[in-house]
Amino acid sequence: MTYKLIGKNFTPPDIEGKVTGDARYAEDFRKEGMVFARLLTSPLPAGRIVSIDYSEALAMEGVVGILTTEDLPQPAAPANPSLASEEITYLGQPILAIAAVTEQIAENALEKIRIEFERRPFVVDPLDTLVEGGPNPYPKGNTLVRNAVAAAAGTTQSGTDVAEIKWPRDAINAFRAGRDPGPSVPWGNEWEFGELEAEFAQCTSIVEEPFVTIGQSHHALESRTGMAYWENGRCFFYGSLQSHTIGIAPLAGMLGIDAANLVFINENTGGGFGGKIFPYPIMAVTGHLARKINRPVQLRITREEEFYIGHARAGMQGWLKLGLKADGKVGAVDMIVIGDAGSGGGASGPGAANFVSLMLQPDAMRFRGVSLYTNTAPRAAQRGPGENEMATALSPILDKAIRQAGFDPVQVRIQNAPDSSGTIGPQRGALTGSWFPQAIAQGAEMFNWEERKQLSGRRNGTKVTGVGVGMGYHSAGASGYDGLLRIGTDGKLYLHTGVGNLGTYSYAAVVRAAAEVLKVDWENCEIVRGDSSLHLPFSTFQAGSNTMFTEVRTNNVAALDAVRKLKQIAATDLGGEADEFDIDGERVFRISNPSQALTYAQAAQRAVELGGEYSGETYPEDLNPVTSRSVQALAGTGLIGVAKDPRHTGTVPSMTVGFMEIELDTLTGKYEIVDYACVADCGTIIHPMGFSQSMRGGGVWGVGLAGYERLVYDTQNGLPANVGLYQAKIPTYLDVPLVTRHGATEVPDPQSPVGSRGVGEPSQGCACAALASAISDALGGHHFARAPITADMIINQVAQLDHFNTGNLKTNTF
Amino acid sequence: MNPRLTRRRFIKSVIFSGAALSSGAGFYLASAQSRQAGAVERLVSLNINGRTRRVDVMPQETLAHTLRYKLGLTGTKIGCNRGECGSCTVTIDDVTHYSCSTLTHSVKGKEVVTIEGLRSESGALHPVQQAFIDELSPQCGFCTPGQIMSTVALLKTNPRPTREEARQALSGNLCRCGAYDHYLNGVMRASGQLS
Amino acid sequence: MPAFDNMPDMELYQPVQIDDALALAARLADRGWLVGGGQDTYGWIKDRNKRPDALIDLNGIESLRGIREIADGIEIGALTTLTEVATNPIVRERYSLLSKAASVVASPQIRNAGTLAGNVAQDVRCWYYRRGLDCYRAGGNLCYADTPEAQNREHAIFNASRCVAVTPSDTGPALVALEAQMVITSQRGQRVVPADRFFVGPDVDIENTTVLRDGEILTAVRIPAKWAGAEFYYEKVADRNVWDFALVSIAGAMRIEGGNIVASSIVCGAVQCTPRRLSSVERAIQGRPRNEATATMVAGMASQGARPLNQNAFKMPLMDNLVTKLLTA
Repeated sequence: MTYKLIGKNFTPPDIEGKVTGDARYAEDFRKEGMVFARLLTSPLPAGRIVSIDYSEALAMEGVVGILTTEDLPQPAAPANPSLASEEITYLGQPILAIAAVTEQIAENALEKIRIEFERRPFVVDPLDTLVEGGPNPYPKGNTLVRNAVAAAAGTTQSGTDVAEIKWPRDAINAFRAGRDPGPSVPWGNEWEFGELEAEFAQCTSIVEEPFVTIGQSHHALESRTGMAYWENGRCFFYGSLQSHTIGIAPLAGMLGIDAANLVFINENTGGGFGGKIFPYPIMAVTGHLARKINRPVQLRITREEEFYIGHARAGMQGWLKLGLKADGKVGAVDMIVIGDAGSGGGASGPGAANFVSLMLQPDAMRFRGVSLYTNTAPRAAQRGPGENEMATALSPILDKAIRQAGFDPVQVRIQNAPDSSGTIGPQRGALTGSWFPQAIAQGAEMFNWEERKQLSGRRNGTKVTGVGVGMGYHSAGASGYDGLLRIGTDGKLYLHTGVGNLGTYSYAAVVRAAAEVLKVDWENCEIVRGDSSLHLPFSTFQAGSNTMFTEVRTNNVAALDAVRKLKQIAATDLGGEADEFDIDGERVFRISNPSQALTYAQAAQRAVELGGEYSGETYPEDLNPVTSRSVQALAGTGLIGVAKDPRHTGTVPSMTVGFMEIELDTLTGKYEIVDYACVADCGTIIHPMGFSQSMRGGGVWGVGLAGYERLVYDTQNGLPANVGLYQAKIPTYLDVPLVTRHGATEVPDPQSPVGSRGVGEPSQGCACAALASAISDALGGHHFARAPITADMIINQVAQLDHFNTGNLKTNTF
Repeated sequence: MNPRLTRRRFIKSVIFSGAALSSGAGFYLASAQSRQAGAVERLVSLNINGRTRRVDVMPQETLAHTLRYKLGLTGTKIGCNRGECGSCTVTIDDVTHYSCSTLTHSVKGKEVVTIEGLRSESGALHPVQQAFIDELSPQCGFCTPGQIMSTVALLKTNPRPTREEARQALSGNLCRCGAYDHYLNGVMRASGQLS
Repeated sequence: MPAFDNMPDMELYQPVQIDDALALAARLADRGWLVGGGQDTYGWIKDRNKRPDALIDLNGIESLRGIREIADGIEIGALTTLTEVATNPIVRERYSLLSKAASVVASPQIRNAGTLAGNVAQDVRCWYYRRGLDCYRAGGNLCYADTPEAQNREHAIFNASRCVAVTPSDTGPALVALEAQMVITSQRGQRVVPADRFFVGPDVDIENTTVLRDGEILTAVRIPAKWAGAEFYYEKVADRNVWDFALVSIAGAMRIEGGNIVASSIVCGAVQCTPRRLSSVERAIQGRPRNEATATMVAGMASQGARPLNQNAFKMPLMDNLVTKLLTA
């Protein structure tokens, strides 16, 4: 298919602001009379507040007001309250906010606040709460259960409650030692398909391995600062979300106002990575404080606070039994994940299990899991939640089975990889389409696997070469959102989008699908976004790699609606039926006589005159209220194209394969990534440079997950060790390969109008898996059972000091 | 005793009101304490982006704070405020510094350039800015001003760096999005080594 | 525990003469804080875990900058930036051990601001101490890092005495290996302390890592000619290649005559509170070639006597491995 815009590079309109400093993030907005708020956070990992005395703080010169939990609606645990009181469940949890004319005065005031706490026992290792008699992170229990309870008024979370789940000490001991805890323990989540034991019986190479992955902090460079002010009952909120209009209703709910009274401005977002998908609790503090003191408030979140409240990946402690049949087919997989959800949020075991079911297409599989809370920072989705940490854990275990059987790691992956008939999860759900086996083969050729694998184990002085291959996956598509555009009487195409600007330029890439359908030159298009007062549609969330699929669909239906209206207007004015007309060159013309035409400007003018659905005075009933309000506001200003996208069917699989060669210094545990090549099966590439960014950025994230990034808590006092960026070990320029390569299958997804899927998450999974495999390969197939694999672990392994560190299967402690 | 009642006792019904302390740079002056004997003069002249700016600076104030909150130069970002990310990088006499870890009083008499100071008099983009656009270097953009300032400083002393030299020079700028490749492409393009 | 982020009110003095600085340092004593590059200053103060009344900014004192030749070697002004130490032609030609060490400190921007004096005088990085806990070093009466459950991967394996923090300095081991002399000035005059006695462990002083006392300023570092142009080896092993402090580092100077090592000075960083001179290794390799066989002969010697904590035993093989690399590079 030949496109004018799809598949072509372009300059996103917001990029100039990013290179000039003109781009404004939440922290960059000022407002007359604005005051500055700072947070008081909990010094304890668990407890409750007995009393607060802030009289001295409030009396200080320059202090303007204070907000405590009493000023806010109370969600039920495990919904994370904006300000804690009765249930403090992690160190760093916000307790109150104080506003002053400067941040410094606000901090001085914090020093004057006296709080009396009551301590409760706490837990930082999930197994310490799972064991009989172990402390519970919440007063009510340690695990999440789903129920049908609605959210408390003014809060966003619903359908969850806290329950208790415990294992006998023997089972915990077995699991800590890396074994199946036995048949008699309770689970929170269990599923199985196929004949597990029968399939294992047919396997000729079976491995059983424990694994631990930790909860890296998101640490977006822009923290979750917000600024808010109120005018005549309306709240103007400058925030930092990955998504935009999908956040309006929940944010309005947190502020206790009708969504029509919220103006949400979010032009730029300095990274989210899953930590800013939807409105988060601290936004309520900013908004309520501004209302309470009737002043514009900027609540800046510091780096340390961003660690506390900015979320982290869920941790996993798991066990995997995997069997290969004599022909290389994966026969059976048995998998356990004890997920660490921190304080609130959910663990990622189910996503991890779905990942394994898809990547290996086993004949039989069982998953057993428990999602546990700990008194550590709340967890949230992070770039391929479940999938990417599981990719890291799975790859060296799979390699071990392959090595044991004497197969080739790439051939086994190709053989078991899903094609379009592949299925996912316990329901064995269908895929929209998959060409992943070809992707792996394409990657192997790009990397020159057949030759490069010969380098495995090659010594060069103190250095040894390792090669690895890894696979990444995330579902990458949703549907059912609204598309909205407007052809102005000036002839320009105004592409309204409620997609957030999280740094992928997807907001711009997807609206080009509408311009493509309407055959409008990109120079005559203007993207309208970033400020809900500009009348934006209800768009999908910017997470789950779904925007490239989902929002191409919405833009397509909106554009098709506009085309229909253009043709109808032309038929009305020029006579005949709509289907006698076509569009091109920003004109709608009679096919049989192209000189009979209306320009888009003329058609838009006619739409205004004709009214009705043409100019948005009427609109489909199935639109989301956000979109409806926007159409109402735009009515009469041009030709409106608006529609709700129908539903798609099946899982939209975005998959990647990565190949890595490393040179590891056995004396220092340090390694150089000599080469990294990756290939994606993510449909049509609609923005090549954006695709390149995703693949390379995901590669850096992969190096971080598998090699560097840490989450460390002290088990004695619940204190986190790595609240700052330097301790979090986020990869730098000098920790990643100098040059990387990538490619794509470019087979269109059947259910996207232009065939596109996102790839932001799988791009990490293949890299971390490839690195974990390469390190293992360099060390003769040693399985570390933990990610990240840090220099000290490698040194210990080489020195055969395995009784230190590497045998220690605990989350949150390395 | 009911803890909620205990807490309520302390809630004040009258909120401190400070109309004179309200907005703009003014509130810093208004809230300033009188100058202590022997300490530095607070009202200083700074050379920022080629212009002399008179500004009231607290003794302990960091340059990042002055730029963002006194001078309205919000292109300089605070990513960590601890010298651990590089988002606040500016040049001082053509050398890169973390402005979050620089005392404003220490740059008196020096030339400070921020991201806002790179455009030419006519408003044209600096070649590094244009190159970073052409290579789609930024992702979320939050670290971009710092990356650009490090690149500008590098190219002044080394107009045609190798990719390895470039990554060494930019290594004090963290990018959480992982856009390192694209930034290095931008450096190579800005130095005329990519077309 | 608020996450403080703003510098609280304090005085700032910007002397331009060393005498004025010394007078201020004497007058303010422990209420004052000397600022060179300030890269280990602002974090402490923003966190409000250290709270001086006044900062004494030494950057206006030109006499404290620069690298000059002296009768026996070179003298490096205390405020000379790490970037300058790393790139100065004389240092690179004669003492590349030091220029290499300076070149791997933290990040380019920190090296542009950070000074040689600051790099050796910086405080320890023990995360419990940095979090503001009331440990021995902070004037309390316990150590949070030296317990069976503690997170002490980065801590000491030698010479712990209540405190188990390690020296974070990258240039410290190089200066000790080069047998540098530290010039310390106060209103009472000047004293010159050898680098290996400049650093002190917790057994000597639990609250200070150097012999510097209130009223004193480290004004210069002299590198004697003794090791000029010797064979050098420096390696820093850290998690990340930017920003991070060493897990273990090694700095070695060797004189080789007739194919054999006739003199050596080998020092490890990050294994105890001070740079650790590997005297037993130096003695054992004396008179032997710098090669694999000698490395094999001294294998395990560097880490002898180490007492690892629960998470840092890896530092033992790492020390030994770095000696191997030094001898076989």
